Formats: sequence, structure tokens, C-alpha cells
Amino acid sequence: MHPQLRLQGAQVPRRLQRGARQAQARLHPLPQATPQVVVIDPEVCLNFKRGKNPDGSPVVSDKCKKTCVEACGEKNAIDFTQKDELKEIKVGTIIVCTGFKTFDAGRVPAYGYGTYKNVYTALEIERLVNASGPTGGEVILREGKNPDGSPKTPKSIGIIHCVGSRDKKTNIWCSRVCCMYSMKLAHLLKEHTDAELYNFYIDMRTPGKGYEEFYNKLLEEGTHFIRGRVGEVTDWAMTPEEEGKLVIRVEDTLAGVVRRIPVDMVVLATGLEPQADAGDVRRLFNMSCGGDGWFLERHPKLAPVNTFTDGVFLAGCCQGPKDIPDTVAQAGAAAAEATVLIDRGYVEQEPNTAFILDQECSGCKSCIPLCPYTAILFDEERKKAYINEALCKGCGTCVGACPSSSIVQNLFEDSEIFSEIEGVLSYD
Amino acid sequence: MDIKRTIKYEADRVPGFGREVMAVPGCEALEHCIQCGTCSGVCPLSIYMDYTPRQVMELVRSDFKNEVLQSHTIWLCASCYACTTECPRQIRITDIMYELKQRAIKEKVYPKRFPIPVLAEEFTKMVHDYGRISETWLVSKMYLRTNPVAAMGMAGLGMNLMKTGRFSLKQDKIERRSELARIMESVDQQNQKAQA
Repeated sequence: MHPQLRLQGAQVPRRLQRGARQAQARLHPLPQATPQVVVIDPEVCLNFKRGKNPDGSPVVSDKCKKTCVEACGEKNAIDFTQKDELKEIKVGTIIVCTGFKTFDAGRVPAYGYGTYKNVYTALEIERLVNASGPTGGEVILREGKNPDGSPKTPKSIGIIHCVGSRDKKTNIWCSRVCCMYSMKLAHLLKEHTDAELYNFYIDMRTPGKGYEEFYNKLLEEGTHFIRGRVGEVTDWAMTPEEEGKLVIRVEDTLAGVVRRIPVDMVVLATGLEPQADAGDVRRLFNMSCGGDGWFLERHPKLAPVNTFTDGVFLAGCCQGPKDIPDTVAQAGAAAAEATVLIDRGYVEQEPNTAFILDQECSGCKSCIPLCPYTAILFDEERKKAYINEALCKGCGTCVGACPSSSIVQNLFEDSEIFSEIEGVLSYD
Repeated sequence: MDIKRTIKYEADRVPGFGREVMAVPGCEALEHCIQCGTCSGVCPLSIYMDYTPRQVMELVRSDFKNEVLQSHTIWLCASCYACTTECPRQIRITDIMYELKQRAIKEKVYPKRFPIPVLAEEFTKMVHDYGRISETWLVSKMYLRTNPVAAMGMAGLGMNLMKTGRFSLKQDKIERRSELARIMESVDQQNQKAQA
């Protein structure tokens, strides 16, 4: 096998692997990354642990045997002198698709994530059932061994929906994708382990082509669907059958009874949240955010990929939780919108932009922070402000604010407004 | 086998009851209930209840006043506030239970020999009259009103407690009870006004 390919799979960053061993210097930045190439992890590679040169580049040490270079042979693909680069690229339009962050399951203490080792998040299970994952696709428990010392496979699994979704204490929105991915995991886990599977849901949300059919398929497979939000996950056994297991306490709201269900493995279907630095990105592109932190589209129905800033478009989960087909559709629309601008090669303007009377501007800069579209710039040489007409939306904020009345708005000049008032107030 | 009719007709509802409860300060969030069952899932006593807390919430919202006020769920609630802490819609379920208990006592529809409403009633009465409770009398009165036979059975224990000085027949009182009486008088007047 090719040495590079042998590395793939097991060596993914610790943040994705959660506790699985990882100390290789070369790794794939992501499992199933495209393109499939390995990169050097400077945190681990001995060559990069020797400090830095005065210019910031890493000291390449000769102490490492460089077996990787040897193995690569005449292909000569390993280059220790490569550095991270920051590039400035001039573009005409921008599509913001910065994505989402998964909810931190530790924020719901009642489900014991971080306390009980056999409580997993859905992403961890995703890695566990993956053929290129840390266990090679074998579903084994983090805690508990068989009598012969081999790791245990779960006999019963509970999947808890809506962790960090539809909850005023965490995130109030429905994350939309969890019902479907929970069912996918239930299907895969059933296939891998033949365990008894329980899904605990508040409402099954399966709108979409073929989704309801998939739900039906799971019902046929014998997966249990229990309508009720789980109260708690505990290891406190009350009956002999609960010994050594995790117990899920839940009301089966359709049957109207409270149940205790012992399981070997608990999977938390964590929801979607805006990225932690979404606020910075928003300010950078001068976009708006809803109260929940997702980027705001210009109009929910008529301009779903546009932002309030011309030439900046939205695609994917940075605008709100959505699944892959919806993301692809929205990204296609955003690309088309961007292409329209690029293809035309010019921008159509509203005629009501503002301009600055150069002789009268005192250079006080009071208009600059007021402009919601960052259209006003300052000429340091001449000590005068000037307006970028391509960005100006004609809101008139600067016109009203200018202390020397040196900003004038097209179509709304003082004389025009006064004669308009005169016309409105005159009788005949 | 005893087969009972379980269907509910519109005539079984008391229209406006749900809105009335939701108008009480602290109970407003009930309208946001999504019937997820977290309250019943965390409730340590839900396993004994005739209606689970979730069902009580829905019955209130759907104006089934008689069913709710006569259920023993409201009397089993131990006010541990687990449901209120965990509710994803931040409904103050325990407070709603208190509101329902108060209504049940006012309308005298609670189960006659059920100790909890009797205890609550005797408790308030004692505070109202003396400004302080004495556990001896409170427990004795509760037993006499709910289960006198059991009270007789407790006599031996009572004698032993009395010997060790843990059981006194003296009623605890506060000083200047005339001032308390004046406060209580105005409270009673307010209550009467509210009821009228």
C-alpha cells in the first residue's frame, strides 16, 4: 500500500476523533478531505518543534530521521520549507458560506455527556461507523469489556433527538437535520450491531423527497420510536436488568406512561448553532444577523441568497440550519446571482446617491462612522471625505448629519424638498 | 371487567379555564407547551400520578377543569421544581400546580381524606391564627382529619417522644398577636374581594 494512503483514516485531528489515539506528524486535515492529500502537522512533527527562525519560518532540524522523505522517494512530495501564506485576491462578488458549529452536548448536563463515557455525540458515532474511522467501522463501546477482554459492542442504543434544539435554555430553533441524521445513524447502527434501537423525539420532522419513506423503512426495521423528550440519563440502577447500563428516563407521551429504558450506548443528536465568530464575519462583510445569530438574507422569500450589501451572497448553514440538498440548491442560486453581476460587468445604480461638495467639506470625519454601507472614505492628502457611489444606497444619514451641510443627495436637494413642501401646502 | 366511557364532549369543558390559569402571573408560558414530556421524564413522582404533568398541562390548556382539579397529580407534586428547571419552554410547571391546588381547595373538590390538601389547609390556618406552627398539633390534626385509625396507631410513638421532650402539647405563638390579627384581617378582606 502507498505509505500516504496507509496514513489516512486513523490520523484525523483530535477534535474530530475525541480521544482516539493520534500522534502522527502527517495527517489529513479532515477525513475524506478533497483533495485526498496529507499535510504535516507542525504541532507534532519533530522538524517543526525546534523553534522558529527570526523571520518566523520554522527551524528545519536534522535530528529527525525523515523516514517520510525516504518513503516518498523520488516523488519528492515532502517539502519542509512550505509556509502558510496570506493572499490578497481582488474579487467582484463574494459568497459567504461559513457554515455552522455543532452544539456542545456538555451544555445539557442531564444527558451526562462527559460524565458517562458511553454517551456519544452524533458526530462521534459518525466516525465510529465510518469504515475509515478510528475503529475501522466497528462499533465498540468506550467503556466496558467482554469477559475475554475484548471491547464490548452495544446491545441496545438510545438516540436522543433535539439536544440543543427547540429549547429556550439553549437554542430555540429546530436544527432541521437531526431527525434525518438520527435515523440514518439508527439504520447504520442497526446494520453494524443488530442492537435494539430507541429514538426519543419530540416531533419527527421528515419533510423532503424520500424522507418520509426512509422513516417508514426504519419502522419496518423494528427501530423503536418513542415520542418524548428524555428527562435524564443516569447510571443509577433500580432493577437488576439496569445494572451496569445507562438508564434513560422518559415519558412515552403517546402511551402516557413514564418509562425507564436501560441501554448500553446513548447518542445525542446535537443541533446546529451559528459559528462562534459569526459576529466578526458579519461586521467584515457589513451583513445583518437575526436575533438568533444566523446571517440575515435580504428577503426571506424574494431575495433568499442576497444580503443587504450588494455583491455579497449567502449559501448554506451560515444563513440558517439546512440539510445538504437545500444547501446545494441555495449555493447554486447564490452562484447564479454572483454570475449575473460578473457577466454583466457593470453595476446599475439607484439615482439618489449622495455626494460631497468638496470646497465645503471641513474634513471633520463625523459622517464616516455613520454610514451603514461604509461608502464614505477619507482622502488623507486633501483632508476631505468622499463617497463611493457604487456603495451608496441613498439613505440620507450623512446628509442630515453633516455639520457644514456639505453633503447633498441627488433627487433630494434642499431646494427640491422645499419646493415640494410648498407644492403640498399650497391650495389652488 | 368494568368498561368506562372515556370520550370527552365539548360539554365536559369549562371554556375559559385554561386562559384564566394562563392569566395568573408566572403561568403565562403554558401557551408555549410543545407536549414533549420532559416534565414527566424528570418528575420523581410522575410514576404514581393518574395524569402525568404533561397531561395536566394539556388538560388545563384544553379547559378540562374538572378532570384537572380532581386529579391527584396536583396533590402528589412535591414542589421539587425539577420540571420547571428542565422545561425547554421555561414553563413554571410547579407554579401552575400551586395555582391548581389553590383552585381545588377553594372549590373544595380535592379528595376528602387526602393528607396533602388537609395539611396545607391546617398549616395556613395555624399560621393565620398564631403566627407560627407547632408540629405536634399540625400532624395530629392532619391525622385526625384524614386517617384517625392511623393516629391511634401512632400513640405509642407519641408517648415515647413526649418522654424525651420532643413532643409538646403547647401551641407555639408569636408575641403581639393583635398586630398579626390586623394584618390577617386585611388579607382576608382582599381574598374575599378577589373571590367576589
